[in-house]
Amino acid sequence: MTVDLLAIPLSCGFFALVVAAVLLVRRSERRLGRGPGAPSAPRMPGPDGGTDPIAAYLDRMSGELALPAADVAEVRAELAGHLADSIASLEAEGLDRETAIREALGRLGPAVELGRQIRAAHQSTRRLLAGAGGGVFAAGGGFVLGYIGGGFAVAAVAVGIAALMAGLAAAGLHLPDLLQDPHGIGGNSILIGLTTTIAAWAATRYAVRTSASVSHRTPHSVAVVWAAAGGLGFGWWALFGLHGYQSWSTVAAELCIPVAAVAGAFVRIERPLPHSPRWAVVVGLIAFIVVPLVLFAAVGSSGSGSGSGQAASFQASDLHLDTVAPMAPAQWLPDQIMTSGADADGASGATVINAQRISGQSTLPIAPLLSNWRDLRFESWHALPEDEPGPGGIDTHYTSPFAVQPAALNGESLDATFDFGRLRDAGSWWVLLTAVGPDGHRYRLDEFGYGGSSDFSGSAWDWLMAPQ
Amino acid sequence: MEGRIRGQLLKGTTTLLVLTVLRDGELYGYEIAQRIRERSGGAFVPSEGSLYPALHSLEAAGALEASWQASDRGPRRRYYKITKTGLGMLREHSQEWATFSLGMARAVGGADQ
Repeated sequence: MTVDLLAIPLSCGFFALVVAAVLLVRRSERRLGRGPGAPSAPRMPGPDGGTDPIAAYLDRMSGELALPAADVAEVRAELAGHLADSIASLEAEGLDRETAIREALGRLGPAVELGRQIRAAHQSTRRLLAGAGGGVFAAGGGFVLGYIGGGFAVAAVAVGIAALMAGLAAAGLHLPDLLQDPHGIGGNSILIGLTTTIAAWAATRYAVRTSASVSHRTPHSVAVVWAAAGGLGFGWWALFGLHGYQSWSTVAAELCIPVAAVAGAFVRIERPLPHSPRWAVVVGLIAFIVVPLVLFAAVGSSGSGSGSGQAASFQASDLHLDTVAPMAPAQWLPDQIMTSGADADGASGATVINAQRISGQSTLPIAPLLSNWRDLRFESWHALPEDEPGPGGIDTHYTSPFAVQPAALNGESLDATFDFGRLRDAGSWWVLLTAVGPDGHRYRLDEFGYGGSSDFSGSAWDWLMAPQ
Repeated sequence: MEGRIRGQLLKGTTTLLVLTVLRDGELYGYEIAQRIRERSGGAFVPSEGSLYPALHSLEAAGALEASWQASDRGPRRRYYKITKTGLGMLREHSQEWATFSLGMARAVGGADQ
């Protein structure tokens, strides 16, 4: 096993990013406090037993602040102290308490105007820019942290589901294969999608809480910006950036990513982030480095399947090929039999199906054979999964091919290209050469055809735009 | 009140007055207002409503540092301390004010003559 040297500085960089972001967020949480829902200072009754005019004044002033909770509490406490001093001084000059309170409040001016001026003093452009930068930084750390935590959570749930399925299977209860994932890679794509969903949620949550604190704004007031940025950024990534196996379930999991990013910015955003013990952060970060290395060493590399060619060991009748079309009568298809094969197109990765007229070991001219035939085409039919017992062959649940390509004469072979990796639900397939004979009916010219299986490979956008 | 300067004239001077009184040491909001009043012989009475926005604005600009400290009269107070940035700001404002007041003195004196 070789370890890419680039992985070491990358891991260290992620580690530093997460530690710095966690420290930044912790500091931010202190400023944001418990949010506006937190109980405020008890109100003192006024001289006449009614509402305390000082508390009422401070309430009106606080209503205009739109600052983080800790800042609001500080401003209130500072002004309350000022008023206490001012009232005491006025009372010492001979004013009665009620008049002294009125005079002290009058000196501070209208509560609403004072609140607006203090808010403007706090919310400077410099702090706004610092908040934006801090938010981006925290989003990066939050994403990595969310990916680690999400990975563990999703893996734990997956193990639980697998154990449940195994238990049900042992009890004789078999659930339908909702993933329809013949190569077992669909599950990986879903795990990655769900893990990234949790990471996106954490990223925007961290960004909102940090930028609100640093820019001295309420989380609600900055949430719109981060929701838009997160929704667009993660939406673009989910649609175009995540490449791999795709299916309905994986696309659904990937489309959850931008939704989670927007939700992370808005849903109960005034609530403090959960406090993670330091040991949990350290263990998580170590696991983030160790677990992938262990998995990399254990799993190794695996190839993607296509083209089994298992037909040779079976009779044509075992493969239900008559579902496609009857075999061409011998008088219209002399003793030379067409045989099909497949090659991968090096540039696009698509599968090139070809058919040749072979007698013994030699390839014969194909043109004379085609004089009786018209509308030659390759038909791709859904086939029975390769991992099921039996010879496989055409899945008789289907009555029409899922893809058809005209057979183009190329030298001494007939060719057609199928991009199975970009066809939804191609799964296991079987391709046969068919043509319309002199009697006007369609026949198959190739006795066995060619089978294989493919997984859709691309982005969620590719899958959504792909032909059914 | 005789000898008091009109509010319009005081506009724009709050920053200079605050930085000046804080040059001598840490003070909290109410003390700052009192100290300005004392040092000016009652001539300058800054609006208390404009004092706190000015203090918070200077803090946001890095000219002041604030900390909560116990007070010998009543609850904890938010004390302000001038920073190196604040001292630089004070020098600039002082020079501007010297230029302004000299020009005003010349202009107003010239008008009297």
